[in-house]
Amino acid sequence: MHLQLAWRNIWRNPKRTAVIMTAIIIGVWSMIFLGALMRGISEGMVRNGISTLTGHIQVHHRGYRNDPVIENSMTDPEVVETALRETLPDGAQWTSRVRVNAVASNARHTAGVTFVGIDPAHEAGISFIGKAVTEGRYLRDDDKNGIVVGRALVDKFETGLGRKIIMMSQDTDREVASRAFRIVGIFKAEMQATEKQFVFVTKEAAQHMLKLKNGISEMSVILPDQKEVRHAADNVSAALPSADYEVQTWRELLPLITAILNIYDGFMYIWFVVVFIAMGFGIVNTTLMAVFERIREFGLFKSLGMKPMWIIREVLAESFFILLIGTTIGNILSFLSVFALSGNGIDLSALASGLEYAGMSRIIYPAIYSHDVIIANLVVFILGLLVSVYPAVKAARFTPVEALTHA
Amino acid sequence: MNIVECTDVKKTYQQGKIVVTALGGVSLSIQKGGFVALAGPSGSGKTTLLNIIGGLDSADSGRVTVNGSTLDTMNQSELASLRLHNIGFIFQAYNLIPVLSALENVEFVMLLQGVPLAERRERAKNILDDVGLEDTYDRRPAELSGGQQQRVAVARAIVSDPAIVLADEPTANLDSKTGEGLLEMMKQMNEKKKVTFIFSTHDKMVMDYARRLVLIKDGLVAGDEIRDGG
Amino acid sequence: MSIDVKMAWRNLWRNPRRSILTILAISFASLLLVFMLSWQFGSYETMIDSAVKIHTGHLQVQAKGYNDKKGIRMVVSDPAAVGNILNNTPEVAAYTYRANAFSLVSSKERTYGVVVVGIDPVREAGVSTLKKLIRQGSYLSEGDTDQALVGALLARNLKVGLGDELVVLGQGRDGSVAATVVKVKGIYRSGQDDFDRSSIQIPLKNFQDIYSMRGAVHEVVALGKSLEYVSEIKMAVAAGVEDIGNKGHLVVLDWMELMPGLIEAIQMDLYSGFIFYLILIVVVAFSILNTFLMAIFERTREFGVLLAIGTTPGRLSKLLLIESTIMAIAGIVFGIILGSLLTWYFQVHGIVISGTSELMRQFGLPERIYPQLSILSASIGPAAVLFITFLTALYPALKVRRFRPVEAMTAI
Repeated sequence: MHLQLAWRNIWRNPKRTAVIMTAIIIGVWSMIFLGALMRGISEGMVRNGISTLTGHIQVHHRGYRNDPVIENSMTDPEVVETALRETLPDGAQWTSRVRVNAVASNARHTAGVTFVGIDPAHEAGISFIGKAVTEGRYLRDDDKNGIVVGRALVDKFETGLGRKIIMMSQDTDREVASRAFRIVGIFKAEMQATEKQFVFVTKEAAQHMLKLKNGISEMSVILPDQKEVRHAADNVSAALPSADYEVQTWRELLPLITAILNIYDGFMYIWFVVVFIAMGFGIVNTTLMAVFERIREFGLFKSLGMKPMWIIREVLAESFFILLIGTTIGNILSFLSVFALSGNGIDLSALASGLEYAGMSRIIYPAIYSHDVIIANLVVFILGLLVSVYPAVKAARFTPVEALTHA
Repeated sequence: MNIVECTDVKKTYQQGKIVVTALGGVSLSIQKGGFVALAGPSGSGKTTLLNIIGGLDSADSGRVTVNGSTLDTMNQSELASLRLHNIGFIFQAYNLIPVLSALENVEFVMLLQGVPLAERRERAKNILDDVGLEDTYDRRPAELSGGQQQRVAVARAIVSDPAIVLADEPTANLDSKTGEGLLEMMKQMNEKKKVTFIFSTHDKMVMDYARRLVLIKDGLVAGDEIRDGG
Repeated sequence: MSIDVKMAWRNLWRNPRRSILTILAISFASLLLVFMLSWQFGSYETMIDSAVKIHTGHLQVQAKGYNDKKGIRMVVSDPAAVGNILNNTPEVAAYTYRANAFSLVSSKERTYGVVVVGIDPVREAGVSTLKKLIRQGSYLSEGDTDQALVGALLARNLKVGLGDELVVLGQGRDGSVAATVVKVKGIYRSGQDDFDRSSIQIPLKNFQDIYSMRGAVHEVVALGKSLEYVSEIKMAVAAGVEDIGNKGHLVVLDWMELMPGLIEAIQMDLYSGFIFYLILIVVVAFSILNTFLMAIFERTREFGVLLAIGTTPGRLSKLLLIESTIMAIAGIVFGIILGSLLTWYFQVHGIVISGTSELMRQFGLPERIYPQLSILSASIGPAAVLFITFLTALYPALKVRRFRPVEAMTAI
């Protein structure tokens, strides 16, 4: 019965109800939509970080992370492969790489790069490079001296497809090994820094140049489900002798992105609270108005013998309806706006160098996380009802006499 | 000279789906200095007539002239100006400005007219003294009794020497003794200041005070008698 | 006090609870904006300052094209002439010369490709923070020849400590082999990983000998007396370098051109902040719109009477606008005061967001951030709040103009 009464009461002054609902709608929309944008930005960062040769999990020889040199390579990849095969869930993919710092040069230019030897077929399913070659071609298993380099490096070196580039790096004998490669493909990446940093050859070519035999620098794993990363990493770690190997997840491998994710998390919840406070003032004020207008009515209820609790429930029920409609529409609107943007994303290419500086992707695809939506709605609902308790108690306290003498 | 001239004034209202005829063609002339009661049962159209004379409402057809100005061709701000300078209002529910004191309420009209501060204060005090409220200058409406509030309203209505004062059931919210006191006072003002009073009522006692009694029934003038008044 | 203001003021106190809540809502938005903008402006200044002092200076004179290609042959061949111009530009606080060459640097165990930077130890100390960043050993001194400063991460990668030798192998300006041996004299740490692992600094004279620079440098790096003078200095210096050497050979680049990412990242942060603030203000506006609307719904009769006794509709609008303006101004004044106090407290004590120090360092920010209260940061936000509040108040104030006395007086 009082739900019905409450429902009718909120439409006694439809304009006022509409105004406060608008505040709630915009508030909820901004919580969820901006939240989805921030999640989109951070997902973009993570995706980018993971696909830029990180993967979900990496296995290295112990010490490689601190000192990524040729001596710290894994001489027997079979051991690692076996461990991965035995512990990882179905659908997991992995690839092995040789990865060392090197100096690239041609007749005119010299620069430091990361020299990566890959298994072309496996690598394609794991990191960005499989789909990134825009000119020439991707590496083939039998490429003995083919190399794939980034667009930005090509520009800097004033070179092009089919031209030679010389790589120098320390080999296992601590001698400087150098070898000429021919550019067979040019890749483009999300970040210019990536295009300048990485050059790719086949794993065999790299092993040969660095006298590594079968050795590899790292094993990179992609799991079918990102949520299982921690668990899977622990399993792999347990299956390998810990004195020789270290297993790390992307969170450990990309500490800066992890830190950004944490900041975003914190910022988002602060934003929720801030928006709520902004609309909380409106909720209290509007409910107070509605209550004071009806002092006589509440007085009448009371003189009819209505218990104060009933009046509190009545007022809270009104707030409940307003919050319910406001949050529902706010949710729908935010889902719609996220949906509208999810196809093409928001293209921020115009700010490319700023994005690169901040480590963000050029295109943001908003991403709705169910727990953000739940928290946003709970914040609005619970706090919204909580602040309505004040006017409700106020209404319950009117004595019949007070109420009837009120002008 | 006629201060108010109504010729075949008609007015209908839409009330939900029904069209209500408030005035079915009223013609009425009121002379300067009159003390006129518009009498009739509620719903007879007397309030509508007062509102139209006061320029608060417009007639559907017919012609209304107040103090020489023809109302039906005037826009809202011209009407506001006419009301400000020529017409004083007294309402059934007093309708004072709650945030202003008695003195300020009376001053307010003169303020709108642009009367300088010293003069308007002086005049407001004089008129409040005239209506018997010399001790209540600084009280707000909420601190005054109904009778006192209505006296302030009368003071407000006549302070700027309007051509006519329109009063809609001025005593309806007052007990009979207070009401009689108020009418007595209004009549004094009528005589002393030569202000034309037109008021609506359905109260026999009030009618007895009028020097002219116009009976309104179903939106038409049903009777018009000149009396010598109480 | 005019009667309108008096009436507006008294009307506000007819419902003190409501007015106070409204004022608080406005204060809350203003407070937050004062604090946030002070924070943002403060961190931008720190970011720019630290980037300028570690990397680029406020502006540089370089050979045209050097900034993109970094070719060793693209030189400023007569640095002293550029120095002269800078000497004669009063807004310049300090300047220095640098030369860069990508080279292989090897320790006993390791070889890395890094940028070898030739610096003038004395001048450099006036322009960059390098000297203050030394964590082990000491900074270069004037007469040093075969000495080098190494970033902490590079030192770790190379497995070298103080006094260890490094073999430098590169290509000189004339294409000849440039080779030398230097000793690690100091190890620095800026906190920015990219910087700390990618370069070593040696004395400029030494550099010029090894890389056959024939007295040339790659960058003349200048620091203005403050950030505001940069465009002024740039114009003056650009006019000056026109006359040196081949016309159009030298260019003057300011820090925004040297680090386009920095300024864009700041703009991005600022814009995205604006989006959040705008939404916040709109939510607040709708929160308080009801107060303004109620003022007219509740007082409809009163407005009817005011109209009846001859008040013009314009005056009613004015009365309402005065009421809402009083609330808005009270709100923002209160908000500015509280916001400034809050900001000032953190300006003195700093803010640490736990777990972010590593991240902050990469952007040249200290772990403890100090918001920077300024006239600008304390006024922009509240001004926006005032503006939007005023727009909000406009709706009821204009609506009241459509009131007709009879209907208004008979309204409940």
